[in-house]
Amino acid sequence: MDLSLNDDQIAILDTIDTLAKPYASPPMQDISFALTSEELDRELFDGGFLDIAFDPDLGAVSAALMIERLARLPYTVEAAASALIRPLIGADLPRPICLVEEGKGRRPVRFLRPGATMLVVGKAQVSAFTADADHIRIEDTLYGYPMATLVVDPAAAGAVPLDVSADELRTRWRVAIAAEGAGLLAAALASTAAHVTDRQQFGRPIATFQAVRHRLAEAQVRANGAYWLAMKAARTLDPGDAALAALHVQQSAGPAVYDFHQFLGAMGVTLEHPLHLWTYRLKALIGDLGGRGEQGIAAGAAIWG
Amino acid sequence: MNFEWTEEEALFRLRLQDFLARNLPADWEAVAGHGPGSAELTEFSRLFCGRLADEGLLTPHWAKEIGGQGLDPWHQLILAEEMWAAGEPRGAQYMNVNWIGPTLIKYGTGEQQARYLPPIAAGDAIWCQGFSEPGSGSDLASLRTRATADGDVYRVSGQKIWTSYAGLAETCFLLCRTGDDRKRGISILLVPMDTPGITVRQIPSIIGEGDIHEVFFDDVVVPATARLGDEGQAWEIIAFSLTNERLGIPRYHLARTALDRAVGILKDQGEFVSETVRVEAANAAALCEAARLASYAIVSRRARGEAIGAESSSARFGTVMAERRVAEFIVEYLSESLGDAHPYLKMHHQRGIVAGIAAGAAEIQLNIIASDVLKLPREPR
Repeated sequence: MDLSLNDDQIAILDTIDTLAKPYASPPMQDISFALTSEELDRELFDGGFLDIAFDPDLGAVSAALMIERLARLPYTVEAAASALIRPLIGADLPRPICLVEEGKGRRPVRFLRPGATMLVVGKAQVSAFTADADHIRIEDTLYGYPMATLVVDPAAAGAVPLDVSADELRTRWRVAIAAEGAGLLAAALASTAAHVTDRQQFGRPIATFQAVRHRLAEAQVRANGAYWLAMKAARTLDPGDAALAALHVQQSAGPAVYDFHQFLGAMGVTLEHPLHLWTYRLKALIGDLGGRGEQGIAAGAAIWG
Repeated sequence: MNFEWTEEEALFRLRLQDFLARNLPADWEAVAGHGPGSAELTEFSRLFCGRLADEGLLTPHWAKEIGGQGLDPWHQLILAEEMWAAGEPRGAQYMNVNWIGPTLIKYGTGEQQARYLPPIAAGDAIWCQGFSEPGSGSDLASLRTRATADGDVYRVSGQKIWTSYAGLAETCFLLCRTGDDRKRGISILLVPMDTPGITVRQIPSIIGEGDIHEVFFDDVVVPATARLGDEGQAWEIIAFSLTNERLGIPRYHLARTALDRAVGILKDQGEFVSETVRVEAANAAALCEAARLASYAIVSRRARGEAIGAESSSARFGTVMAERRVAEFIVEYLSESLGDAHPYLKMHHQRGIVAGIAAGAAEIQLNIIASDVLKLPREPR
């Protein structure tokens, strides 16, 4: 066993960091609920980064590392499904790649917009169609992603079955949730740690109060666990590993999000502070694929039968 | 980044499992239930560790020149996982091979090494650690047991408490005050427990018989040659020791093994059906595996010769979370386990209570994470 990054992985992350540098902070006086960047999306796509998992030598771990790193940016970009799920369904389908569970069509879908590929994931079958303006309603959500809801039945939108295993796709979806969630947890934690270090009350940084320190330290333990579970699941693509990884992120995100905002006090309910750009993405991930209950059931079935 | 065991690592684990199958008696789980410091388990540990030594499995992670095989930290981890999940048949002697031996190797004199290392390496030595005092637990540097230099001896007076294994130990790794400076005034003495003036009283405990004690030192005369390292060097030495200790007990592995056993029993009884119980089991498994991987990440760095810092506190706290969640699961869904129905699960529950206490309080670990991982400013003192 060796959990260190190999040379390829170090090189990929270095390149991602360089590419992402202009996006490390939100624009001045930005009050977006979801901060997007077409330029960042284009740079990632044109640079071939969203295709790295097609290369068997790089594999899903490299993709998961990239997704985790990109999720730390205040900007959101559709990288997770593109990098992890396209190797299953082919590179030809137009991006962004959007995911919804069959029968859950009322749920808002991340990145859904005209021209996107809509994947409808059923128990045993996955179907796909290209969304057009008539199929969707752009939603003004409280989530940190651009989102839209389907307003037509997938069959009526021309969805066609894909020749892929729904179980394998769900496994990769769970890895995507875990990797993105791990990066979001890490970034939200870092943002909160910076605030409590700067903010003084009673003549001292509020980070010096144990009530704050211990809860942030517990969040660090959970975020660290989420990172490693995500990477292992990306490596094995085992259904049990993937379900545990997504479960851990989903069960960690809820309490962590409230703690982070709590420690920012009133600053934590403003849009001028960027914390929500990470935490309100986590809120969207909490409900993905049925939430932690469904992840727990899937993990239980995979591990113990 | 790969998460697969090498063939050699996998074979090492199989070899240990085979060893355990051959050397644990049929009533082993009942023996283990007496507790790691009990007379039963201590007596068994001498037999068991002797056999481990015979097969080169007691100190394989020690360097070759001091009797080990120079195996890397992954092997040390695998060894610890298999032993701990089996109920730690090495008893108190796990401590010797994890940190007392390595500490003596690094800081001991030739005479100390010649005296203490052979019995440790043969699996026939019981040590206790004289650290905590009635007024000094987490704040260890406030300890007051005093060793006063008197010619070529020290005279030691004071009290230790919650001392594991003291009743049956031959030697105490004793921290005592030789100067007034909080940390640089502390020294280590290696004290035979049969030295006149030492009184040991057992404290009845949840975790089994013979596990914790009070130890009184009443003008105990100890030769100056029994000092480990220089006068005042104790803090540096135990920092080294505790780095080994914190990784020494892979509680996540016992917790996960206990969880798997509990689920197996529930399935046999037709009770692993409801979604609630299945989801709760998965929640516990997720915490176990998160703690496992956090620990593996540290071992991976050690195996590459990198320094380990506060990350080990993070892995340790993750293990506490896992241990507690598994224990809660078992109490809630398989409550007969705290009776006599399932000795292994009873043992897990019995030992789990100290996950956040032994080897340093979990709250101290959280402070370390806050200061040294998250880089938050420290609390005022």
